[in-house]
Amino acid sequence: MKKYFYKLASLLMLVLITMTSCTSDDRDDPISVQPPSGDYTDGIFILNEGGFGYSNASVSFFENTGEVYNSIYSEVNGMGLGDTAQSMGFYGENAYLVVNNSATIEVVNRYTFEFIATVSDMIINPRYIEFSDNKGYITNWGDPNDVNDDYVAVLNLDTNLIEATIPVAEGPEKILLDNGKLYVTHKGGYGYGNTISVIDLASQSVLNTITVADVPDGIVIDNGFLYVMCSGKASWTGDETLAKLFKINLSNTNETIVLNFSAEQHPSYLEFENGMLYYTLDNEVYTIDHNNFQLSETPSFSPPADGVEILYGFEVHEGAIYIADAKDYTSNGEAFIYNLNGDLQNQFSVQIIPNAFYFNNL
Amino acid sequence: MRYFVCTILFCIGFSSMLHSQTDSITALREVRLIAYRLKDSTYTRNVTIVKDSVLKQNQASLTNFLNFNSTVYFKENGLGMVSSPSFRGTTASQTSVLWNGININSQTTGQTDFNTINTRGYNKIEIKPGGSSVADGSGAIGGSINLVNELGFNKGFHNELFANYGEFNTYGIDYQTNYSSEKFSVLLGIARNASDNDYPYPETDRININGQYHNTNISLAATSKLNLNNTLKVFANVYDGRRNFSVPTPNALKTKYTDFNTRSLVEWESHFSKFKSNLKIATTTEEYRYFGNIDNDFYTYGKVTSFISKYGLDFALSNKILLTAGINYTHNDGQGSNIASETRNLSAALISFKHVLSETFLYELGLRQETNEQYGNPLLYSAGFSTKLTDFYQLKVNTSKNFRIPTYNDLYWQGVGNPDLKPEESYQGEISNNFNFKNLSISLTGYYNYVENLLRWVPDSSGIFRPENTNKVEIYGLESVVTAQKSFGNHKFTGSATFAYTVSENKETGKQLIYVPFYKFTASFGYNYKRISAYYQYLNNDEVFTTTDHATEHILDSYMVANLGAEYTLGKNRDYKIGAQILNFWNESYESVLNRPMPGRNFNFYLHLKF
Repeated sequence: MKKYFYKLASLLMLVLITMTSCTSDDRDDPISVQPPSGDYTDGIFILNEGGFGYSNASVSFFENTGEVYNSIYSEVNGMGLGDTAQSMGFYGENAYLVVNNSATIEVVNRYTFEFIATVSDMIINPRYIEFSDNKGYITNWGDPNDVNDDYVAVLNLDTNLIEATIPVAEGPEKILLDNGKLYVTHKGGYGYGNTISVIDLASQSVLNTITVADVPDGIVIDNGFLYVMCSGKASWTGDETLAKLFKINLSNTNETIVLNFSAEQHPSYLEFENGMLYYTLDNEVYTIDHNNFQLSETPSFSPPADGVEILYGFEVHEGAIYIADAKDYTSNGEAFIYNLNGDLQNQFSVQIIPNAFYFNNL
Repeated sequence: MRYFVCTILFCIGFSSMLHSQTDSITALREVRLIAYRLKDSTYTRNVTIVKDSVLKQNQASLTNFLNFNSTVYFKENGLGMVSSPSFRGTTASQTSVLWNGININSQTTGQTDFNTINTRGYNKIEIKPGGSSVADGSGAIGGSINLVNELGFNKGFHNELFANYGEFNTYGIDYQTNYSSEKFSVLLGIARNASDNDYPYPETDRININGQYHNTNISLAATSKLNLNNTLKVFANVYDGRRNFSVPTPNALKTKYTDFNTRSLVEWESHFSKFKSNLKIATTTEEYRYFGNIDNDFYTYGKVTSFISKYGLDFALSNKILLTAGINYTHNDGQGSNIASETRNLSAALISFKHVLSETFLYELGLRQETNEQYGNPLLYSAGFSTKLTDFYQLKVNTSKNFRIPTYNDLYWQGVGNPDLKPEESYQGEISNNFNFKNLSISLTGYYNYVENLLRWVPDSSGIFRPENTNKVEIYGLESVVTAQKSFGNHKFTGSATFAYTVSENKETGKQLIYVPFYKFTASFGYNYKRISAYYQYLNNDEVFTTTDHATEHILDSYMVANLGAEYTLGKNRDYKIGAQILNFWNESYESVLNRPMPGRNFNFYLHLKF
């Protein structure tokens, strides 16, 4: 008996010793099949921001044929996109990927997704990008704990270098161009903002500030009117405030209509399509007629009924509603496409924490 | 057995493990039960004890040491960065770290960052797999690690200096001075470790940016035999560490993190007739500061001061029966950037009974009643027996109920903390088979652990993470520890290995928890000829899931890492050693956390002097 055990143990040791010279048995990474045409001309990019600190941001592509291609940036370029992809913008032939925690803007060809350049100088905590006249305008939080170092970086699209910065209030977020002016929402960064900066493109300086309500999230400009969805401060902030929807006449900013949400309601997003405004509240989709401008008590449809767990991206584009579902933030997310009546048209799996849709030639 | 023998001490036999050789490691011989006076410790589970000389052959961080020498799995955010354990498939806060018997897990996070523990400050480390909340309180669900300062008597004046230097400007200095007379013993140790830590990422052209760290650990221990019946012990420890957190991508904002922890303990042991009483009074402080931008003075912080007292009274009904009663009291006072000043008081009463029924059979029972109303007053238990079935085979069976209370962050984080959280509860059972031969010992343990009310931060429908009592987790597995040694003349060979198979399943989804590998192997081999020793350490971690849906494209590959070392002993009394190590000998390119590469092959030298 004793001998038997001894032999068994010796054998075990021997096995262990021999194993030491083997390398580990790596799993072959599944190769994401990419479009046979090799281009990404007609379809939708879905930006997957990835987990903060995990450098696993990626881009998925939904071709108009219905095929889905994942991780196109790394497949085409053989390197990772970076850490926490916040947003993306198109200008000319190029796409500009704003990678928040990497503090970079990755420039690629929008049709081939081939890497062109990385913008890293004078980019700190970038959020969103807008374009005008061969220049990119990028909102930056700077050091998020410093309330006085926030700015809009001006990117020269020929040199891919930042040529100027425009200091703004804390937490600049979305940025929108209209009629020679940039409108920047101050959601507040680590704090809570309640203003819109209006930047004059000609002088590249802040022209004036429009005060709205706490946490401006969605912004839309249509026909001389600025619509701003302010989420209000949530209860967990310890200082809950009302959410409000603003309709501001840009030719006379004193002419403003404000709709108040009920206490404890904290809507997000704002999209505009065919005279209707779309927003979300508790993962449900609501609509408002821009003329009638009355809040609706009942949602227009309910994505959780189709399995949406955390609505993390929301777009309305050319007669369709696009919803990104982040799930539990630690698994692959899903994209849902609805028609404007709220009928589910398509649903497909993407990558980690999808946050937005970008439409290439659609 | 003067030299390094093997890497793991596997403890067999009912006891005397606290009295093993001071030099190296070996499987202990059995002690006849009848001759032994029972102590207030666990007899029906295995404990692994590692001594000083082995600690020195490992790198200074507790992460590195346990990674190569135990079944504990580590998730390390790049070398030297935040490191959290999974012991027997449990979560990071379900491993309890004790300092001379006092729990030092962070009160704010519930975890211990194993890269903030410098093993150089201690001369013994005990690894106890399995739940031990009855003895060790909250958090001892997966297992516990006890860092011990042990003192001897009558050895006069001794000094020890250990210094190492390696690539990336990595260095460590550990000086210990010890004086002991017949009745008094004192030890003072100062250790410092630092590294530029700017290693290249294998197979890329990137290097580890902003990963530098340094830390200093000061330990003091003193014991005085006041008289025949009374002993007084004093322990103190200060840890001061600073780490920059390596950036995930080259242009990211650089951050840094500091830890400052102090621990002090007074212990009074007294024996009178059939009684033995033990009083421990301790205070600990923990403080972290996180600088979100290294160039800015702004930081967020958390700070907790704790007062802990433990009283235990052993009553030996006979030399075969031991009854123990105890009272514990803990007071925490915490505050932080996101926590308003909060205090809490925890107390518990415990009782245990141990009985040596025959020369080959022992059983023990323990009960612990928590008396904090806020957490529902759980009654914890532990019961087990140990029996020697043949002269080489011993069977141990143990079952227990264990718990972990919510942390300061869980309860009090401004806006999202939830004061109504319940403690996690864990029901466990384990069977250990120990085989002990002349040159070989093998343990094989099967265990089952059912955890309820698992505390996790999960996103609500608006995407805000909040702490909740969430899932049930079912964990079961096998672990084995093997040690062997054999000499042929002057040639001495030693070997040890650990193996773990772990299933840790979220009962709601039926899926393995993320960052829990199914398999982990470690092995080490030693060879000694006269003044020359060589050793080889090997670690193999199975692949782990990094997403809860187990998507294959996000699986982190399995990896193996090996270290090779050699040392030569000098001096007439063999008091000086010089050694060299090749870490990651096979130059494996691996990550223990997604996109956080670890270093490739690198070199390290050390010097160990006793005078």
